[in-house]
Parts: sequence; structure tokens; C-alpha cells
Amino acid sequence: MEFTIINNKKTEQLSLKKNLTIKELLDEIEKPLETVVIKKNGHIVLEEEIINEGDTIEVIQIIYGG
Amino acid sequence: MNCTKCGKKEVMIEKKHSGQRLCPECFISGIEQKVLKDIRKYDLIEKGDRVMVALSGGKDSVMLLDILTSLQDRGIIDMMAVTIDEGIHGYRKDGVKIAAEHAQRLGIEHRVVSFKEYFNISLDEIMALPSPRGACTYCGVFRRWLINRTAREMGATKIATGHNLDDETQSIMMNYLEGNIENLTRLGPRSHPKSDKFIVKIKPLGEIPEREVGLYVVAKGLKVHFDGCPYSRESFRAEIGEIIKNLSKKHPTIMYSTLRGFDKIKNALKKEHSRNFTMENCIKCGEPSAQELCRACVFCQELEKKKTR
Ligand code: SF4
Ligand SMILES: [Zn+2]
Ligand SMILES: [Zn+2]
Repeated sequence: MEFTIINNKKTEQLSLKKNLTIKELLDEIEKPLETVVIKKNGHIVLEEEIINEGDTIEVIQIIYGG
Repeated sequence: MNCTKCGKKEVMIEKKHSGQRLCPECFISGIEQKVLKDIRKYDLIEKGDRVMVALSGGKDSVMLLDILTSLQDRGIIDMMAVTIDEGIHGYRKDGVKIAAEHAQRLGIEHRVVSFKEYFNISLDEIMALPSPRGACTYCGVFRRWLINRTAREMGATKIATGHNLDDETQSIMMNYLEGNIENLTRLGPRSHPKSDKFIVKIKPLGEIPEREVGLYVVAKGLKVHFDGCPYSRESFRAEIGEIIKNLSKKHPTIMYSTLRGFDKIKNALKKEHSRNFTMENCIKCGEPSAQELCRACVFCQELEKKKTR
């Protein structure tokens, strides 16, 4: 399954064997949930949200330092 | 599971301690009501106040500006804004630009004042001198001086800053751990200055967690400068912040309880520990100061010496 990730304004195409949740994705890219807001296809979503084929996931870092 | 308040499907936040799940509309209106309630509860604003927002362009001050705008629209206050340019390369410029855009959009008077023009040195230049103090020490002292001076010049009756719950909790823990009990007595949602040359400072977002501030600006589509100051990692505050954020993962109410606990001991602390001294005017710059020279002027002198060395 393929999806688009916009992280730190860089857009990338990722392909994975199985569907991940937002939380699993954040663990994967080593971003603590407390410091980011996640949008899926333009809407803010919770960590339990599942990423599906063709989704666009935007990682917005809202807390820096510490 | 849908929004606990209105039943809509699109949930954007789950509040771990209360189990509340909220859609964007309910989250936004909930926060706005909470801030306006705190403004009344702590008596932060009176009708007719001229409120100057310390507007960095970051999420906290942009959210503050956004919420206070509703009070201006209802004719309760007048608003203006100041942005401090510390002179931090690669960091401050974007913030200044975003701050100016918001001020212009809202049609409020906005001034940008820099360390360079008032103290003849930028923060980057200070940090390039031999054995400086921590960046945040200069930054804090110079910024407070500048904000207060500008507020007086603009005729403000209140200075509103975007300090959030995380900032407040950090301040409580830092001062406690460092044994700065006298500093502790000065924390809280509004200042009680000893000189009428100090404009009253208010912190309407003091009970809003930092992450919710971030969620608010993203949910409302407000343009903000999300970026970290290159000097922030060096500070003791950053270390404390890290500890509290880690604790919050398992103990989601820890920041609220720290604040509530502090509220309970604050009056007792004040009685025992606030120093009584009279404020004179700094002999160099004329700002109020307990010593002959205010801290900003002491730092300026110290920096002059370092420069000529
Ligand atoms: S982190 Fe320190 S140096 Fe950077 S803007 Fe804040 S107070 Fe100033
Ligand atoms: Zn709702
Ligand atoms: Zn002075």
C-alpha cells in the first residue's frame, strides 16, 4: 500500500506491506506524538487513525526544544 | 466514537484525563470559552483596557491575538502589538513577517523593536563575545525591558503574553528546584508591579497546555511560525520542560495539579518571602529598578567591557 507523507514540508511517497496507524508511523519516524499535529487528507486525526492506500499524511511539528 | 459534545464523526483530540473526544468546532469553542472564563476569573482585563500583545508570530502569541480579537470586536478593549527582534539569524525573520501579517489583517497598530537599535548589539553578536552568560538570560532581561518600554510608549494599560500551561509549570518547577522562592511569589496569571512605570502583565493562556495551543492554530488555519530558537536547548528551562513532558505521558494531569498546588501555597509564600523594597529609577535608562542600575543596563555595561577586550 502506498501513501504520501509531508514531513517538515518535504513530500515523500512511502510504500508499506501493511496498513499502519498514525501512532505506529510516528514510532517508525521517531516523532513523539506530544510534539506534533497530524493531518490525514487535510483533517486533524487521532493517533489511532489507520492509514489507507492513497492517503496524504501531514506531520506538523508544533513543539520544539525539550 | 464520535464527538462527545455534538456527536459529529470528525474527532481531532482525545483528552486523556477526562476521556472527552472533540471535533474541531467543539474543541475550538471550548478553548475560547476557557480562555475568556480565565480572563474573568483572574480579573485580567477590564473594559476600556488598551492591551498590547507581545506578538512573536509563534503559535502561542498568534492564538492569544486571535482570542483577544473577539474582545476588541465587542468594543471591550483596544488592541496593539509589539514584536521583539532579538537578532537571531535564521530564526526571527520569519516570525516578524508572520506577526506583521496578522497585525495588518486585523488592522491593529504594530511595532517591531530590536535589541540592536536599543542596546546596540544583537543576541547573535552577544553570544559571539568571550564567555557570555546563557542566551536566554540576556534575551529575557532585554526583552522584558523593551516590551515594557514600548507598552508605555504606545499607551498600553496591559501587556498580554502567550505563556501557556507548560511554560507556567516549567517556571514553577525551575524556581522551586533552584530555590528561587522569591521569584515563585511573582508567578501567576497577572503581575502586581511595585512601580506604576511597569505595565501590568497578563497571561490569558496560562491554563492551556502547549499541545492544545498547537492544535488550536492548526485547526483554525492560523498562520504561525513553527520553529525552534537555536539557543533554546542550552537552557535549564528546556531540561525541565523535557522532564515534565515525559511525566505527562503517564500522568496526563500532572501539569494541572502542579499549577493547582502552587495556587494553594502562593499566598503563604507571598506573606513570608516577597521582599519589600522601594523602586527607584535606573540612573542610566530611567526604567524602574531596585538597584541604582537596572539589570538591562548592568548587562549593557558588562557587554561593553567584553567588546573592548
Ligand atoms: S529560547 Fe532563549 S534565546 Fe531563544 S528566544 Fe527564547 S529566551 Fe531568547
Ligand atoms: Zn463536536
Ligand atoms: Zn537601566
